[in-house]
Amino acid sequence: MTEKWKDEEGAQNFWYRGKVTRRRVIGWGGGAIGAVMLVPAPWRAAFGAAKPYKIGSEQPLSGAGAAGGKTALVGLQMAVDRINQMAGIMDRPIELVIADDESKPDVARRKTQKMVEEDKIDVHVGGFLSNICLACMPVWEEAKIVNMISVCLDTTLTTSKCNRYSFRVHDYAPAQAVAFGPMLAKMGKKWHIAYADYSWGQSTRDAYAAEIRKNGGEVVGTTGIPLGTADMTPFLSKISGDFDGLFGIFFGKDGVTIGNQAYDLGLAKKYKWAGDGAICESANLPALGNKIDGFVAINRYVPIFQGALDTPHHHRFFDEAKKRLAKIDRSGPLPDRYVQSNYEAMNALKHGMEMSKFETREDTMKLIEALEGLEMKLSDDFPQGDKTLRKADHQAFLNQFLYTVKGGQFELFEMVPKDKTIVPPACKFPAA
Amino acid sequence: MTTGPLSKSMPLTTKLSHTAVFWIGFCVVMAVLIVAPLVLPEYWRRFLTEILIWGLLAMSSDILIGYTGMVSFGHSAFFGLGMYGAAAALLIVSPPNLWLAILFGLGGAAGAALFVAYFSTRLRDIYFAITTLIFSQIFYVIIFTWTEVTGGENGLIFSRPHFTIPFLYDTRFSTATLHWFVLAVVAGSYVLLRRIMQSPFGMVLQSIRENEARTRAIGYPVERYKIVAVMLSGLFAGLAGVLYAVQNQFAAAEFVFFTTSGDTVIFNVMGGIGTLVGPIVGAGFFQLIRELLSRIFGDQFPYLIPLGVIFIVMIIFLPQGLLGFARRWLNR
Repeated sequence: MTEKWKDEEGAQNFWYRGKVTRRRVIGWGGGAIGAVMLVPAPWRAAFGAAKPYKIGSEQPLSGAGAAGGKTALVGLQMAVDRINQMAGIMDRPIELVIADDESKPDVARRKTQKMVEEDKIDVHVGGFLSNICLACMPVWEEAKIVNMISVCLDTTLTTSKCNRYSFRVHDYAPAQAVAFGPMLAKMGKKWHIAYADYSWGQSTRDAYAAEIRKNGGEVVGTTGIPLGTADMTPFLSKISGDFDGLFGIFFGKDGVTIGNQAYDLGLAKKYKWAGDGAICESANLPALGNKIDGFVAINRYVPIFQGALDTPHHHRFFDEAKKRLAKIDRSGPLPDRYVQSNYEAMNALKHGMEMSKFETREDTMKLIEALEGLEMKLSDDFPQGDKTLRKADHQAFLNQFLYTVKGGQFELFEMVPKDKTIVPPACKFPAA
Repeated sequence: MTTGPLSKSMPLTTKLSHTAVFWIGFCVVMAVLIVAPLVLPEYWRRFLTEILIWGLLAMSSDILIGYTGMVSFGHSAFFGLGMYGAAAALLIVSPPNLWLAILFGLGGAAGAALFVAYFSTRLRDIYFAITTLIFSQIFYVIIFTWTEVTGGENGLIFSRPHFTIPFLYDTRFSTATLHWFVLAVVAGSYVLLRRIMQSPFGMVLQSIRENEARTRAIGYPVERYKIVAVMLSGLFAGLAGVLYAVQNQFAAAEFVFFTTSGDTVIFNVMGGIGTLVGPIVGAGFFQLIRELLSRIFGDQFPYLIPLGVIFIVMIIFLPQGLLGFARRWLNR
């Protein structure tokens, strides 16, 4: 190996002739540091690491809602990774601050306070269980932080308990009932509603009962079944009489229970069988098998490529989500509405932040104004389809999908456009 | 089982010095707790206030567990009813009134306590514990399903009332002033309960704990004493519920679930049964360890496993709880 470099002029000056003294090095070093400090901010942003946006997300990663919470987080993380890969929001990356609320409202309250006071988050996207969303609403309002609800379904979040800081980019029961009402009227005149006997089930029951009546139908009876009932037979065996259809309002493992037991008791054959899409969510299909065949459902998102869902945007979303879901669940579940709504909630926030030139929490009011009335178009950001975030109550209206299950597969037969799901606003924002 | 203050034969000088030591200690702790919100960051201020509230709940159950020898799993019901009572007042009356919230909360808790006490005090030991647990679950199911009134699973949210002294003073609570208010209530409750437990009534409760049959044989109406003990305990648990509602501006059915009662028993065991102040220490220790574990090992760390191990170790090596251990160590 030759060492010719030692003979060169620069090397001689640097190493052997004492021309580079410690004093010179310190002098030049100090000058360089000073110059860096004087470089204008845009240059620093271009060449250095920009300060990230801190986006908080409270999710149930343990406790009763853990399974759904982990799925929801996949959608959120997917959106954040995609945004960061595309240079972030206004050239600033996103730092996601995740808090596990343990499916308990008191823990959620404490952790949201921590996100606000210690982590200093700029905005919040999340909330899975409605009781937790409601319990945390005063925190966001008090801290004046935008709260983008990503799963919570409770109607009152954007009606009687609405506030200026909270937004919901997905649907709620009244809008789904409006979308499903005409179809139910065609299926039968007389309905019996079986529902999960707690607040979501009860408010959803009321919304569907009203729409069935509005469409000329009749609700001949309702059966409330306590949440988490492992054997629903005592309740279901009492459902009998002269009516055309049975409408079910359940989710999670209760959806599996009602699906199986309604079939076993012959209710699914005797009556037209319809209900909330949460009963036959893709994660429930393996446990339901063929027993759920013929069930007519409504959902904002169905993991299929038919009709309005057969778009390149949906394909890209589906492929990426499926890949990520396989990492947390070896059975390889298909993406569901929790993945979709978290993904789109984050993207809606990104649009609002860009429109309002959001920098810090100080710009919250500008962000609120940008989000109010936000029109979202079918794209890679919103693969589910177009949607509008209404100014009056911060409730979004989006396309709904009516479908059935055949041989363990979803079969889409109608898409109800967002404009046909509109419900009058019932929110009066409290004075600031 | 406990270190109840049955000390009639103690010389007057020792008794006086103990009293002096107690009050000096009390004043020092109070001074620290008064100054704390001025130096602590916002989050820790709220955290400390919450510890005091859980401490009050634990202290209320000490009346039964530590002084009367009755393990109750019904405290979640009293706590929850206090919370929902306060919520009712804060939602119905405009503008929300703090004193009315306290009144409604105490009313709700007292009603529940009377109901539970009437039926459960006829029973002893495990039967009493099971009955209180069943009653708390009944209240839970009612609250969970009676959505029109209680908000069901969603619970109720409301505005925080101002701190008011009628016709004299009206101000919004800040985290510091709320802390001082909660501290005043908890400290007042402690002093009052300590006095009650040292009174003849308290002595009878301790006598029931030591030997129920003999207490009855002496002529004390044991059932009536037990009813009053459950009601007293329920009332202070309800007060803790009111404070929680005022601090967090929501009431949720989860708090009525029996696991809240389980936590309360754990606070008692960890802090020291039959000491009143021990359960507050236990509540603080539990909350602090939980917070530290989730900070050190991350938010999704299953903190209940190490907490469970700590609990088992404490039962084996510190059966008298942290306060009992501290007392023994100081007396050495």
